[in-house]
Amino acid sequence: MSEIRGCNLPDDLYYQIEKHIWAKPLDADTIRVGMTSVAGKLSGGKLTAVTIKERAIGKEVAQGKSVAIIESSKFVGPVPAPITGELLRGNDKLASDPNLAISDPYGEGWIAEMKPSKWNSEKDGLATGADGLAEYQKKLEADDISCD
Amino acid sequence: MDDKVLIIMTSGPDTPRRCATPFFFATLAAAMDYEVSMFFTIDGTLLLKKGMAETVYPKEGGKPVSDFLKDAIDAGVKLTACTASMELHDLTAEDLIEDIKMVGGASMWQMSEDSKTLTF
Repeated sequence: MSEIRGCNLPDDLYYQIEKHIWAKPLDADTIRVGMTSVAGKLSGGKLTAVTIKERAIGKEVAQGKSVAIIESSKFVGPVPAPITGELLRGNDKLASDPNLAISDPYGEGWIAEMKPSKWNSEKDGLATGADGLAEYQKKLEADDISCD
Repeated sequence: MDDKVLIIMTSGPDTPRRCATPFFFATLAAAMDYEVSMFFTIDGTLLLKKGMAETVYPKEGGKPVSDFLKDAIDAGVKLTACTASMELHDLTAEDLIEDIKMVGGASMWQMSEDSKTLTF
């Protein structure tokens, strides 16, 4: 885990930096998706709902299209799919406790699971490893975002 | 759309005359074997506050809203409260009567997708 400008960012995830989304391969057929601690900070620290897009479950969602919707008093908007794939499921725990996505964004607060259809080509467009975190740091500095 | 009804309830204690019919229509729909949900938002959510429905009278000398609410619940109508409207009124889960499912505004769109939807 790295801490960049007060924001916790695990070293082993794939990031869609512009949208503050992370992706993590669980196995060959499953990618887990969530929002980063930066998104939690930008949301104002308290979510009123995280709603999976029910009608997209079982269907292919193109990279960038919405898999869920986040609501807070500061922000309402989509959780865009970081990769193209079938939306398998949302995290049921968020229905009763949407703030898990802020308190435990990389653990219990994951948002969706997808079966990727273009992982090998699309993962190269995501930021990962030391280079990826350096890129995320540049973004945070440029936007003057910190989680402190 | 054939068997589901969604009633979006925005009216609350400030407009008491508007607070019986939505529950009445929900109860009727349930009696007609529709699967009925109500989505409470804006001021409608106030009616779900503990003790509130008992104090709102659509007609002077008539039944309080709590009677209409009870009829709807007894008929199997599912009640959902919009979490953004709870923020609007500084309400927490503990402030509400029992058996209310709290959902985001996005859920309204999902519920209405395959339901006949009315707004009061």
